[in-house]
Amino acid sequence: MYGEVGNKLVHHAKRTQALTNLPAYQTELVRAVTREVRDLDKDVAAILEPFAGTFNPSTEPATACALLVNHLCMRRNKRCLLAYHRTRTDKLEEMCWNGVDVLERQHDQHPGGRSHAEGQSSGSAADGSSSSLSPEEEEYVRQYSDLLAAYKGQWTDIDLTGSLEPPKDLFIDVRVLKDAGEIQTEYGAITLTKNSQFFVRQGDVERLIAQGYLQRLS
Amino acid sequence: MMDIDDLLQEVSAHAVPQETRDLQELTRCWVAERAAPELLEWPEELMGRVLERIRRQIDIIEEATGSMDASTNFKLIIIQTELERFKFLVRSFLRARLKKIDAHPHHILSLLPAQPSLLSGTEHAYLTNHQALLANHYHASFLSQFPVPLQKLDDTTGGVSMVERPDENAAVFVRALREVEEVFVEGTERRFRMARGDVWVVRWRAVKGLVRAGMVEVI
Repeated sequence: MYGEVGNKLVHHAKRTQALTNLPAYQTELVRAVTREVRDLDKDVAAILEPFAGTFNPSTEPATACALLVNHLCMRRNKRCLLAYHRTRTDKLEEMCWNGVDVLERQHDQHPGGRSHAEGQSSGSAADGSSSSLSPEEEEYVRQYSDLLAAYKGQWTDIDLTGSLEPPKDLFIDVRVLKDAGEIQTEYGAITLTKNSQFFVRQGDVERLIAQGYLQRLS
Repeated sequence: MMDIDDLLQEVSAHAVPQETRDLQELTRCWVAERAAPELLEWPEELMGRVLERIRRQIDIIEEATGSMDASTNFKLIIIQTELERFKFLVRSFLRARLKKIDAHPHHILSLLPAQPSLLSGTEHAYLTNHQALLANHYHASFLSQFPVPLQKLDDTTGGVSMVERPDENAAVFVRALREVEEVFVEGTERRFRMARGDVWVVRWRAVKGLVRAGMVEVI
């Protein structure tokens, strides 16, 4: 049925919005929708061919209707594809902002899923990685991180990716969850060893809290 | 029309130091940017002054750290607390703007020729680069295999415009800073006047000109 595959993609996108992790890229569905668009385009060309550029919709209402349906389906499929990809890139951008190393995490997450992923996407030779991202998306993440770093570089004094909670206290209590080595602060170096507790300046450790090394104690 | 209150306010405004006025202004910009559905003008001069002052405070802190004197340390803590608050304001302000820039990129680009001061230089660079990346990504993922007439990303034919626009009919809370003779809400028959200090909930479309002119503020 027209647009059915596109609908599946939209369902996937809808589901992605509620998830914290990015589900696997639907290579097959994307390809199927793209194929449908091309087929529809061929149909349109075939319908128009006998008229040789002199098609008049008012004399052939039935043909005009068929053309319209085909056109609308193509546009709808395009919207579905755009929505699907945009939802995923939004998610990826959000991860970039939160300081999550998306690419690294993807590769860590499925150490055993390699053969599985390859079996599923047998068509593309480039997709050798176990990641739930398409190769294009990996490239996008790389470029967006660069863009973000460049933009952030203009605002070094502000630390754009810092907390969006209004600051209440200059100093906070933190507990170290994972060994994080030595950090430099204005009050000298602190060695963060697991299970120790510190009273530190919030601005110095915000990154480490976001990355899960430290836990804030209230 | 200026009444005596406005005059009094103008006089007292000069008594307040520039720093305090800048903070008020920054806070006002921040609140407005977060509450308004549309991207507002980039306050170039204000941001220049604020950033310059933040840099100076950081320098002061760097020079004075390491001192063991208790009163200097106490002063430092006050400066740092103030600095963190300023940084938060600027950060939250910039992020609120970026969010809108990412949500309506094509719409904002189409506004730029008429309103060149809508974006800062860096924001403009971010917007164009980000859109180029996205367009590339769509192209590499599927769009390149589409029939050529369907490859556009800002297509407005076919009844559905691809360019998303902010919702100008969204309701905002505003407070009148001056007396406003008449506000007309488009699409309805509502006309009303705002006395100074009045708070109203209105469609953004009806008051956005007044916000730009500084007659009312978004709260």
